[in-house]
Amino acid sequence: MTDVKRQDCGSVDHRVHRRQFLEGMVAGGLSVASFSGLFSIPAFAEQARKEQKHCILLWLCGAPSQFETWDPKPGTPTGGPFRSIPTKLPGVQVSELMPRTATILDKLSVIRSMKTAQNEHFQAIDLLTRGDAPRPPFIRPTLGSVLGQQLAQLDSPIPSFVLLDPCPEGNEFKAFKAGNWAGWLGAEYGPVRVGGEYRIENIARAEDLSEADHEQREALRRFLSRKYENDRKSAAAASLNAAYERVKGLMSCAHLFDLEKIPQKDRERYGPGTFAQHTVLARHLVENGAPFVMVANGMPWDCHVLNHEIHQMLVPELDQVIYQLITDLEERGLLDKTLVLIMGEFGRTPTLNDARGRDHYPNAWSMAMAGCGIRKGVVYGATDTNGVDVKENPVDQRRLFATVFSALGLDPYQQYDLPGLPSFFRVEGNAEPVREVLA
Amino acid sequence: MMKPEVKRLHRHMLPTAVLGVDVRADGRTLYAACMDGMYEVSAESGEPKKLYAHESYASGVVLFEETNTLVSAGYDGVLNWFDLSAGKQVRSVKAHEFWSWQLARSPSGKYVASVTGQYLSGGEKYEPAPEREPSVKVFDVASGALVHALSHVPSVQSVVFSPDNRYVAAGNLMGEVRVWDLSSGKLAAQWTTDAFTSWGIIKSHCYIGGIFSLAFTPDGEHLLLAGMGPMRDPMAGNGRQLWQRFAWKENPPRKVDETHAGESGEGLMETLAVHPGGGCFVMSGRLRGGAWNTALFGLSNGALLHSLKTDTRVTRALFSPDGKRLVLGGTRRQPNFDKNGAIPAFGHVDIYEITV
Repeated sequence: MTDVKRQDCGSVDHRVHRRQFLEGMVAGGLSVASFSGLFSIPAFAEQARKEQKHCILLWLCGAPSQFETWDPKPGTPTGGPFRSIPTKLPGVQVSELMPRTATILDKLSVIRSMKTAQNEHFQAIDLLTRGDAPRPPFIRPTLGSVLGQQLAQLDSPIPSFVLLDPCPEGNEFKAFKAGNWAGWLGAEYGPVRVGGEYRIENIARAEDLSEADHEQREALRRFLSRKYENDRKSAAAASLNAAYERVKGLMSCAHLFDLEKIPQKDRERYGPGTFAQHTVLARHLVENGAPFVMVANGMPWDCHVLNHEIHQMLVPELDQVIYQLITDLEERGLLDKTLVLIMGEFGRTPTLNDARGRDHYPNAWSMAMAGCGIRKGVVYGATDTNGVDVKENPVDQRRLFATVFSALGLDPYQQYDLPGLPSFFRVEGNAEPVREVLA
Repeated sequence: MMKPEVKRLHRHMLPTAVLGVDVRADGRTLYAACMDGMYEVSAESGEPKKLYAHESYASGVVLFEETNTLVSAGYDGVLNWFDLSAGKQVRSVKAHEFWSWQLARSPSGKYVASVTGQYLSGGEKYEPAPEREPSVKVFDVASGALVHALSHVPSVQSVVFSPDNRYVAAGNLMGEVRVWDLSSGKLAAQWTTDAFTSWGIIKSHCYIGGIFSLAFTPDGEHLLLAGMGPMRDPMAGNGRQLWQRFAWKENPPRKVDETHAGESGEGLMETLAVHPGGGCFVMSGRLRGGAWNTALFGLSNGALLHSLKTDTRVTRALFSPDGKRLVLGGTRRQPNFDKNGAIPAFGHVDIYEITV
């Protein structure tokens, strides 16, 4: 058992003993019933309802340029063509492509000293969504799966992990998406992905099927498949059951995924693009209880070609999205309970390639966060004059994940003992959270 | 047409990428618009002299020998008039709120045109939003006065005047070309080709590419367009090296010809110019895959006549007025910082002797 270093911010998670937690999982058979097991502790469930926390991850897949967003270097050989502008924080500037975010930078924390080790998309996406490098055969759950499990309400039909991403064709992100998101948590903590279409298709109950008939069929299906699963110890059946459970839940909350039901004015404020529309939908889902929503849009930020020409379009959309999301959450009294993460899998090179592009760069990049557990108006870390390297306070994926868990009141150093596997921790190596950005 | 003979005379390096070039009629002096400002370069020695800078990249330059004046444009949206005799800036005009993508001078020397436009999301699939300011502006060179503010769909990336000074044409991200009558400012032609624009179904779910260069044929009847063919993954930059030729006065404008099969590789073509003698034209840009990044084509039949591999990305190609020189401005990959903390020079101007 590790020496637990708690970020005690009043979360109920701190009051649930690890052994209780594990017993809850093991009693239900590790993957499928762990959720129920956890919430069978009455004090936990009640407290969780009161303190429902959420997380929205704006996943800037492909990796945006820090120079054209959070860490501009105008007038330097690496700075690119865009100027920087002042923000609400005295002395702090961001790219001129982010005028709206500049006005609310006092509500965000920006880390300008991200320094990681993977410079290929697939591995870096894996690293920055799971918080650590692979350790076969153990598959670490992604952030969405962990937070979905930890933050979900027992009686909510909303999926614990929603991924809004329209990506229609193959790329590294699609390859990642085909992988195991939930790891040892099991299939029910994988994401429900909605993409391309804003409504979830094929989950409406057939018109000629009554509610009672539907319930009876569902009960029979559940009985038979559980029996099969128990008899055969079938992981496939367990996964299938998880899927059925999820669809059943979705049927009762499908209306929440309907953008048409969100006021047109709200939608227009965010902007017309898919990413913007998915973000307003994420806000809507969180308002209605979704614990974790990840918003992506394929991987448009991978600007090996025409970096500035693409950032001139993508960053203004992101700027508008950040401003509207943070403002909306604050006005709705949700910002203090919702952690917003804005990041990609690495940054982009200081120098330009011969195609006007910036290439992959994990050595020195930026991300931002706001909301639940996050101090407002902090810029942490710095890069050197030309943005080539981190000058002070490097932050890797472990420190980032320690910060995220701490902000949400979850123990970053929670230890897990899985049958037949070495112990592991939510965050390995006792990595320190970035305390300067924690509220 | 006989195959032209092409021989490189000089490669002159400049500190940063060259985005625009012009040359004196005698071929002895070049003017380069670079990421870090405006340079005068001796064609013989290559000695660069920095003249001034824009607040962002300098993106285009045109020379008016009659008055010994440069007009330059930049990503700061500003046009600067620079008196070369006096060695000082004599006028500055805020032409656009966004970049000047390209600058052109009329053959008469009376006008300059600059095009702008920030591509902003206007729809679910990132269709360009309508312009926020006129995308095409024509200025009187002598007075600096705005003559026309013309409407297009951003981003508008290329502009050219017709040889008879009657028309100005501009092409955009979406492959739309608009031609206006300069005397009235009225639209004379408008059409769209889908050959130059990608919607990245794999990575980049937005529009990329467009028409990067335009040139009228000497008789003014046809327009040549340059860019890169569509890609599934725009980040591969592997679209076909492409020009198209349109009989723009026909209604609707008709495509006459395009890069012939088997005569192109892959890569963005950013510049196109017709030889003063009218026998050929040059198209140049980046080589992503294939055998060349600069090629001469017969104007009458579109056939590939000669090709070059410069090992750089060429942003601007032009012929000297006497047709004896071909000038290519461009850039290599920006090098990393050296041990002294400086970035070695990576812009270039190449000068070729050409016989056609």
